[in-house]
Amino acid sequence: MSTGPSSALFDDLRAVLDTDRVRTGATELGLYRKDASNMEGTTSVVCLPRTTDEVAGCVRAAVRHGVPFVARGSGTGLAGGAVPLDGAVVIVTSKMDRVLSVDRVARTAWVEPGVLNLDLSRQVAHLGLHFAPDPSSQQTCSIGGNVANNAGGPHCLAEGVTASHVLAVEVVLPDGTVTVLGGEDPEPPGYDLRGVFVGSEGMFGIATRICVRLVPDPPAIRTLLLDFLDVDDGARTVSDIIAAGMVPAAVEMMDQLCLEAVEGYIHAGLPVDAAVALLVEVVGLPHGVEADVERITRIARERGVRDIRIAADETERALLWKGRKSAFGAIARIKPNYYLHDTVVPRSRLPAVLAQVYEIAARHQLLVLNVFHAGDGNLHPLLVFDKREPGVMERVHAAGEEIVRASVAAGGVLSGEHGIGLEKRDLMGLMFGPVDLAAQAALRDAFDPAGMANPRKVLPSGSACGDLQAVPEGAWI
Amino acid sequence: MSLSLRLDDDELSSCVACGLCLPHCPTFRATGEEALSPRGRIDAMRAVQWRGAPADDQFVEFMETCVQCRGCEPACPSGVPFGRLMEGTRDALASAGRTTPWWQRRALAVLGHHRMLLAGSTALAVAQRLRLVPRRVGLARLPIRRGPPVRPSASGTETAWLFTGCVMDAWMRPTHRAAASLLAAVDVAVEVPGAGAACCGALHTHAGLTDPARALAERVIAAMPGDAPIVVDSAGCGAALQDYGHLLGTDEARVFAARVTDVHSFVATRLDRLPPPARRFGPVVVQDPCHLRHVQRDHLAVRAVLAHVADPVELPDDGLCCGAGGAYSALQPELAGRIRARKLDVIERVTSATGATTVASANPGCAMHLRAAGLDVRHPVDLVAEAMGWDTT
Repeated sequence: MSTGPSSALFDDLRAVLDTDRVRTGATELGLYRKDASNMEGTTSVVCLPRTTDEVAGCVRAAVRHGVPFVARGSGTGLAGGAVPLDGAVVIVTSKMDRVLSVDRVARTAWVEPGVLNLDLSRQVAHLGLHFAPDPSSQQTCSIGGNVANNAGGPHCLAEGVTASHVLAVEVVLPDGTVTVLGGEDPEPPGYDLRGVFVGSEGMFGIATRICVRLVPDPPAIRTLLLDFLDVDDGARTVSDIIAAGMVPAAVEMMDQLCLEAVEGYIHAGLPVDAAVALLVEVVGLPHGVEADVERITRIARERGVRDIRIAADETERALLWKGRKSAFGAIARIKPNYYLHDTVVPRSRLPAVLAQVYEIAARHQLLVLNVFHAGDGNLHPLLVFDKREPGVMERVHAAGEEIVRASVAAGGVLSGEHGIGLEKRDLMGLMFGPVDLAAQAALRDAFDPAGMANPRKVLPSGSACGDLQAVPEGAWI
Repeated sequence: MSLSLRLDDDELSSCVACGLCLPHCPTFRATGEEALSPRGRIDAMRAVQWRGAPADDQFVEFMETCVQCRGCEPACPSGVPFGRLMEGTRDALASAGRTTPWWQRRALAVLGHHRMLLAGSTALAVAQRLRLVPRRVGLARLPIRRGPPVRPSASGTETAWLFTGCVMDAWMRPTHRAAASLLAAVDVAVEVPGAGAACCGALHTHAGLTDPARALAERVIAAMPGDAPIVVDSAGCGAALQDYGHLLGTDEARVFAARVTDVHSFVATRLDRLPPPARRFGPVVVQDPCHLRHVQRDHLAVRAVLAHVADPVELPDDGLCCGAGGAYSALQPELAGRIRARKLDVIERVTSATGATTVASANPGCAMHLRAAGLDVRHPVDLVAEAMGWDTT
């Protein structure tokens, strides 16, 4: 951008916020070029608003100067959704971190978008309530980011993903106007625009207040760790459990390399010599829970489970979950870089697709680590590497694309919960034809005709107006 | 402004940028800003070391605002040695004259000269009484009288050194006497180092003055020869002493560092020798010093010792820093105050739920910082001494 319009834009932004919360220093701007993924963009200004009015003011200022904007929460996204393209103004919601109200009778809460997911659950814990979506990054990720990506998590198997837990959203639309989508009532009249907004990846506006459902803590919980000497036996156990008519609160799978990395961090006595371990949690009334444990144990034995460990108390349960949820972060114990994938396949195809994943990685001479939501077939193969090795990026990209294609070919989908963002934008064609993509582009145009909100994400170029754009550095297609 | 940080490339590359450290960082919690988070600071270091970015004023600010509490380290699944990266960066900045101006170096140099420090501290305490020290400095009230220094005691079935250090001896000497009484009560003879062990050098390391820190470390090692355990009642000093192996890189230093233990950890395994207290306190809030919990990772023993005389009450904040950070509260008063405000909130929630009125903290910096906000903060060994009826004045 030239100096003229930028400095006028900065002045307008400073009129909305104060000088201190409009950042233009190169060192700081560099930190906002990326999220937790490998993709990078550039920005010329970062805004740190505290209120809805300030967010709206920032959006209006950006749009007035013809500069797009992108919202950012904690920056834990893995698909490049918060990466600023086209010099977008970065609007950070981290300073909007208040829980505004809690209704213990209706079991709802109004929160600001920068509230961290786990903080919300902790703040309502004394009421026996929690916020159900629990991404692995839940201690860090923000509710605003959860809404943008329709985030999932281990416990979404039984409870449903973020869309099931958001009742209403106050939104700054891409033209700077403010509206509320949805409502506290379970079924507000009219179109379900709240449902449209959740998962729109920052392209329909910025959520500034969110009304969430809170769910009661279960009366009884049992957490089991089942380990197998064969990946296939573990994968088939998952299918058998669901086929037997049970929907456990969570069914997670970790393979040998993952167990090894995580054990190095938490020292929980994980079975590091097993091919794969399943972390299964059942919740409900005490007798029902015990019956479920018995049935799961029987099913696992039939599939040749080696060892079954049942968490003796809350401390042990918390430790096992800490292990599962720090898997991505523990990767540097093996190699300093990872490329994390997020595809979904039908549960019945898990064993076959997993075998393919290992085969693809081996063929490209890469280490792969699998840790994922097995219960709903949501795969997370992590290719781990050291990007300082010459030529490794090419192999990572090639293997990654093959994994996505294999998942889709098996009847799966591109993304389970991380979003499309920048990462999978150009793979949308694997799932959708021109008519589907045009329909999605039309929806986007209805919210944002000028294309100012988080440009060039999700929809591949050519979906609507046919403008071809170069793929930024780091994206792998 | 180009600057070589001389950081270890493997250590610098060990961050995968997942962000799990963010909620455990006091400056991120206070501001919500990436630049004031461990992930952001590592990315900024990488920009300077790997991408030739200038170490400009913003870079210096992002580094200087780090409390060096190291709460990010236990939160990191990949085990990024953030403290070492930050100390290395501070060293490079201080060497290049970008941080730690002459007056800070002069003040830190006094810490190694114990008599000068004691005299200066007394003068400051008198100035406080004369209202010559502005309240906005945020300094808790200093003692004018501190009583005689800790003396060695010969009787006991085993022997341990008691490290007394610099500021703590000037400001909290009764705590040293309480620690010595506690050691004697569990049948341990106490040795006291001479003037050589004047200062552990922790504040010098934090300020990037690695060479002065090494000189102090060598003096401390020489002052406590033999193989007896070295017991420390200041969490920050204990962490620094335990890091001498890394600081000096010698086998002698590594052997020395392995002898160092926090007083609570040392006493916790000998609690059966301690008679029942004359009286008991009710609920007491435990505030973990970062360098005991996150660096030494040895904070649970405080509860064991405290439980002998009181009912320890936990703070539900994962051991988030209070903002004291050695000299941090003096150098970054605005941020330190905001960080402390969060700590005061959580303490207030817990005290109103439990009726506790006293906070126990095993580090002089945290105690002073929280006292300056009006809290009743005691060292756990002081509470033990009072409950046991020992005279430590």
